[in-house]
Amino acid sequence: MDSITLTADLDALAQISAFITEAAELAGLDERATWQVQLAVDEAATNVIQHAYDPDHPGDLTLSWQSDEQRFVIVLRDYGRHFDPHNVPAPDINSSIEERQVGGLGIYLITRLMDEVRFDFNPNGGNLLTMVKYIASGPRDDVVIMPIQGRVDAVTAPQLTRDVHAQIAQGARFVLLDLQEVVFLSSSGLRALLIIRKELMTLGGELRLAALQPQVHEVFALTGFTQVFAIHPTPEEAESAFGQGRA
Amino acid sequence: MQIEHRSFNRVDLLAVAGRIDAATSPQLRQQVEALFEQGRYRLVLDLAQLEYISSPGLRVLIEARKRAREWKITDLEGGDIRIANLPPRIKEVFDLTGFTSLFEIYADVTAAVGSF
Repeated sequence: MDSITLTADLDALAQISAFITEAAELAGLDERATWQVQLAVDEAATNVIQHAYDPDHPGDLTLSWQSDEQRFVIVLRDYGRHFDPHNVPAPDINSSIEERQVGGLGIYLITRLMDEVRFDFNPNGGNLLTMVKYIASGPRDDVVIMPIQGRVDAVTAPQLTRDVHAQIAQGARFVLLDLQEVVFLSSSGLRALLIIRKELMTLGGELRLAALQPQVHEVFALTGFTQVFAIHPTPEEAESAFGQGRA
Repeated sequence: MQIEHRSFNRVDLLAVAGRIDAATSPQLRQQVEALFEQGRYRLVLDLAQLEYISSPGLRVLIEARKRAREWKITDLEGGDIRIANLPPRIKEVFDLTGFTSLFEIYADVTAAVGSF
């Protein structure tokens, strides 16, 4: 186990980030998991710095980590005010800009980025935040490649949605639609793809599209959805991009 | 974090590079508020060189967009904060937090500036 103890002020963030990034790499986390850990720890440390202590008299925070083959475990300790995550309402990530509340994002991100999160408080030992990231090993078994043919429009989109749902029901989370043979895509087709993408993201998965014909690619370009979807020139490139972000 | 500012006729462009976290987000807030005080409410954030964003930075973005949109010329035209060039890791944070549908996001600066 390795650890650092720092004064809980904003200057500590850069050191914390460097410390945990090096630790995650040593533990064998891939580039994306390392980035997720870095962000989660930064959020947790920011929370301590901004809320645990009187800003004029910051106390200490201690960050430590250990790992085995399967798990990278991070513990963040402070001796400040009791932190109860139940007092932080979860953000409504579907609300409009007018209704969107500004708070709660830090804790929310921690729970989304890490595989296990636990908050403990002991009047003598302070706040203890334990975060675990699972270390991925071996090929994934939740990737599915679906070749699509013909037209994707109001008539065919419901069937496409049903086919994807059937794959999700069998455990698929990382879905690649090979659109090589698709000659036409309408706005209804686009809408179906958007909904599928959102469903997969909610499950922690990804939707990727590959091998779009020019007239199909143009539909995405015209509507600005090239920025929303992960689009790859070939199915092979799409497949190797799963779990690497950019979805 | 570095912020580069360019002023166009109707729109101001802020290119934000590096890291937006708890330590640096006040600087972004100040820069945006300085523009608001000059009556400049149409902003494009070019995030092509942004490496990192955490929740204090996201907070600045929401608050700033809310403020900008309160400024109206007509019912259809007014202030806004729009985004150009979202790098993959930043997009991932946007997706996780629902920001992808909270902001208008453009493929490049020309499209974002031209959208006003």
